[in-house]
Amino acid sequence: MSDVVLEASGLAKRYGRRTWALEGIDLAIERGGITALVGPNAAGKSTLIKTWIGFERPTRGAVRVAGIDPWRKRSEALEHVGYVPQSPSLYDALTVDDHLELALMLRPTFDRAYARQRLDQLGIPIDQRARSLSGGQQAQVALALALGTRAEILLLDEPLASLDPLARREFLHVLTDAVRADNATALLSSHIVTDVEQACDRLMVLGVGRLLLHESVADALAGHAIGTDGVAPPGAVATFAGPAGERLTLVRRAGSAGGDGLRPATLEEVVLGYLSSGRSTAAVGERAA
Amino acid sequence: MRAFSRWARLSFRLQRWEVLASIAGVALHAGLALWFAWQLRGIAAGEPACPDPNAYVPGCEALSQRFRGLADWATGLLYLSWGAPFAMGLLLGVPIVSREIESGTAATAWTLSRSRIRWLLGRVAFAAAVLVMLLAVVTVVSGVLAVAIMPNLHLERDFTWIGRRDWLIVGRGLAALGLGVLIGAALGRLLPGLLAAAFASVVVFAGLSLAMDRWNETLTVVVDPSGLPDAAPESSGALHVGQRIELPSGELVSWSDTALVGDVQVIDERGRLYTAFDDETGMPDPTTFVGWDRALVVPGDRYPQVVARDCAVTIGVGLLALGGGMAVIRRRRPA
Repeated sequence: MSDVVLEASGLAKRYGRRTWALEGIDLAIERGGITALVGPNAAGKSTLIKTWIGFERPTRGAVRVAGIDPWRKRSEALEHVGYVPQSPSLYDALTVDDHLELALMLRPTFDRAYARQRLDQLGIPIDQRARSLSGGQQAQVALALALGTRAEILLLDEPLASLDPLARREFLHVLTDAVRADNATALLSSHIVTDVEQACDRLMVLGVGRLLLHESVADALAGHAIGTDGVAPPGAVATFAGPAGERLTLVRRAGSAGGDGLRPATLEEVVLGYLSSGRSTAAVGERAA
Repeated sequence: MRAFSRWARLSFRLQRWEVLASIAGVALHAGLALWFAWQLRGIAAGEPACPDPNAYVPGCEALSQRFRGLADWATGLLYLSWGAPFAMGLLLGVPIVSREIESGTAATAWTLSRSRIRWLLGRVAFAAAVLVMLLAVVTVVSGVLAVAIMPNLHLERDFTWIGRRDWLIVGRGLAALGLGVLIGAALGRLLPGLLAAAFASVVVFAGLSLAMDRWNETLTVVVDPSGLPDAAPESSGALHVGQRIELPSGELVSWSDTALVGDVQVIDERGRLYTAFDDETGMPDPTTFVGWDRALVVPGDRYPQVVARDCAVTIGVGLLALGGGMAVIRRRRPA
């Protein structure tokens, strides 16, 4: 039996007549761990996640959640999925406790005690209305609602975007803790690479609707190096500007970096390199496959 | 029981402004209606020598004038009874989906719930229950008020104020609710949804009213209006559907058909129609007998039947609209 829980094959999504949000996405995410889905704005991260929860219908290709087509069998697919939307989508008029009750009403298998315990640990006032909570607390409530479903797959659509660094760290701590405890699979989309570096096991880089890189964080770090002399060595992925304006070259290579004018790449540099190479997707597509 | 109370409590909190506004409106309406009814009954019962304050009885002019002055205001409340189901149905129906989409909570609700249809039905059931309870109050107090304004009114055998004091109020409210859900789901925005739903309601209910008028024609009987008080078919409690001319051959023709016979038609006090030609003085000169004036009416005893089928059709339209709303949200993006 396959252990793949999230799949996309030949996935393409077009809005209107001309705008392609996703093109030719092929990927498979296996059970367990947290995968970071990284890319700039309008890269198609939200669209990809929304096809997996049946909010968007693929224009071409197919997606599967736990082996189920979420567009055709949305109810069945949603049994396997907990979702945290981009902005905490809570009801202003309801208290935190009301949200847990609502979740229980909508999904009889919702584990209210588990969600409540998570919120209690964070000291989130359960009787307070959602609108009076801070952004970080609202995000935690949204995460608790997703975790309370006890779903094997968690899809998180940029939940960190509006949070301050402390709230982001706390959110990620709760997420990693829950994923490990439940042996769940999480896909966390973000454009803040430094935050996901600590929390995620795998990395997917999405640029202009195409998958540019998909491998473990460890492999991404070990398999890439940075050239700083401005010369493109063999295996160069792309050249991009560093923080001080210097020219950096991301190099794909086997073995550890060093000796030949290369230094180890940070995860952010790996991501920046692939995003810079986004236009030459054909070559990268082979790597992703 | 616990699940029911949770559903009721949370549903109320999600729509509390609309529900509270509806309750306040109905409480005000009911309070005023009962006050007017009490006042009118007090006036009518105040003078045993004047049993019918609506009738002209010598010596009762002052009482009648006082009664009618108040009755005019009270009749205005019956117009509110006509408008209440549309206003409340749309107010409760449009936000169910549109507000969720506008505020982004649809994404949460539609992923927590395995079925969007079940989610929608849960929300609509609460709004429908509130609507039925409140409009039932409107219906009952409007009936009380109608009888106070017109003491001889038989609520079950008289078409007077049809749709303003009977269960059509509830039926129309449910239809407006369904229409509100559909338009709110399609537009996904609250204020434009309310405006569009109000416009759609005017169109749908005008069309429905025309259709029901045509259907009611199948229940009509022909009566001689000259034998009725004030020659008015409505005075017998019947529903006046149209006016016809009965030719000596027994054939019924419309008034426009009789225009082919002559320029001017004159009806005498016995309901006989003549064609007439102007003489030199400009006065009509009856010359040719054409036929008798006749009214097409639905008799008052058919009132429950007419209301029941009008209710059924109206609720059917509401259910169709709700079905449309379900179809929309099955495929709709949550934002």
